[in-house]
Amino acid sequence: MALGLILSGDREVFSAVWTSLDVALWSVVFASVVGVPVGIAVALGKFPMKGAVRVFLNSLMAMPTVVVGLLVYGFISRQGPLGFLGLLFTPKAIIIGLTILATPVVANYTLVAIQGADERILPTALTLGASKLQSLFQLIREVRFGIIASIIAGFGRVISEVGVAMMLGGNIRFYTRTITTAIALQTSNGEFAFGLALGVILMAISLAVNVFLTVAQESHRA
Amino acid sequence: MSIAKYQLSSIQALYGSTLGVDVDELTITAGGLHVLVGANGSGKSTLLGILAFLNRPSHGKMSFDGVPVNWEPKECTLLRRRVTLLHQNPYMFSGTVAANVSFGLMARGFSKESAQSVVKESLERVGLTGFESRKAKQLSGGESRRVALARALACKTDVLLLDEPMANVDRATADLLESLLASLAAGGMTIVMSSHDELLGAKLGAKVIHLEDGKLSRTPGPSPSSEFPHSTGRDNANS
Repeated sequence: MALGLILSGDREVFSAVWTSLDVALWSVVFASVVGVPVGIAVALGKFPMKGAVRVFLNSLMAMPTVVVGLLVYGFISRQGPLGFLGLLFTPKAIIIGLTILATPVVANYTLVAIQGADERILPTALTLGASKLQSLFQLIREVRFGIIASIIAGFGRVISEVGVAMMLGGNIRFYTRTITTAIALQTSNGEFAFGLALGVILMAISLAVNVFLTVAQESHRA
Repeated sequence: MSIAKYQLSSIQALYGSTLGVDVDELTITAGGLHVLVGANGSGKSTLLGILAFLNRPSHGKMSFDGVPVNWEPKECTLLRRRVTLLHQNPYMFSGTVAANVSFGLMARGFSKESAQSVVKESLERVGLTGFESRKAKQLSGGESRRVALARALACKTDVLLLDEPMANVDRATADLLESLLASLAAGGMTIVMSSHDELLGAKLGAKVIHLEDGKLSRTPGPSPSSEFPHSTGRDNANS
């Protein structure tokens, strides 16, 4: 029955899938724009309290999703400072919350990728006449799969997230209902087959992303 | 009369928390082969890093072609385009051999087309003709070293610095390196290389600079030393 729902192109199933992909992809894009430079800056920068910043970034990775949801809710609800924007219970609200969740993940994994890079990369590029910026780009090029993995880890964090999507999206049918919020709702309503169909799709998306990463890494090694 | 390529005065550099290099006066003349000889930890690599404008000394003055070095980032980038350092264990960038050899040229704004002939010529000089499309990461250790040398030669800099180029290389590579360095030096390039081998300088007809615990020491062998007056503080750039 679950397979039948997928194969029949059930509108509700595909709406939830589309909404999930839409908010997850946009939030990962925004999280990457912020997280990758932050990770690189923390990895390469020499500044006071660097250790404390790393611990803080690590701690943010474990941030409870409902707390993020609650904080963003406070800002964008009607009584909140950004209430006039009318963002609550829209996909944009979910994107804001998911971006906050994904950014520390992307930043931390990028930091680890840069710190794990061969320490000869920068001096080699510099001594061949590259400017600091060119050398930095070369370093990023050399660890690009680590950075892609950091972005995919961020995607994994947000595609399977339910608390933020529920609190900030409101689980509105055909609008803000994502795969995870739909699974939660349908299962609680006794629609187990529907929930299972969405679960299969969620697993397939995660698998596809990991296969993509593995294939890309293997082709790079070849 | 020899023209000074580098002039170092009261140069000190820290390696970690210890003093890695402590050179009172050193002049490296333009053109020819110079060999930095010293044991492990004598400061050879640290000094090469300074000569390559990679490491700023903690104290002292240095001039290059008679112009004082201010160690400003932009100035260092420009100076690094006139000097290349070949590391002891060179790093190969991911991608092809051609991409590696042309890296310095691309950084200098060359187009891919104009870099191609230089890449070909540089690979020929190190005996790796036809290696352009090979994956750099899949080369053997000896091949990687040759590609790194080709990569450095492609930059066509005034100065070539080499950190222990003869260490762990087979006889054929050592012979190729010796003849290549001799021909480059004869062509007017300033070459400074480090080595453990006391006899290498004499073998190559090079000027020998002895380092011991980061300080210059007198040359014991028959090779003429690079000009350094030790503790006298006398500038003999034109000696």
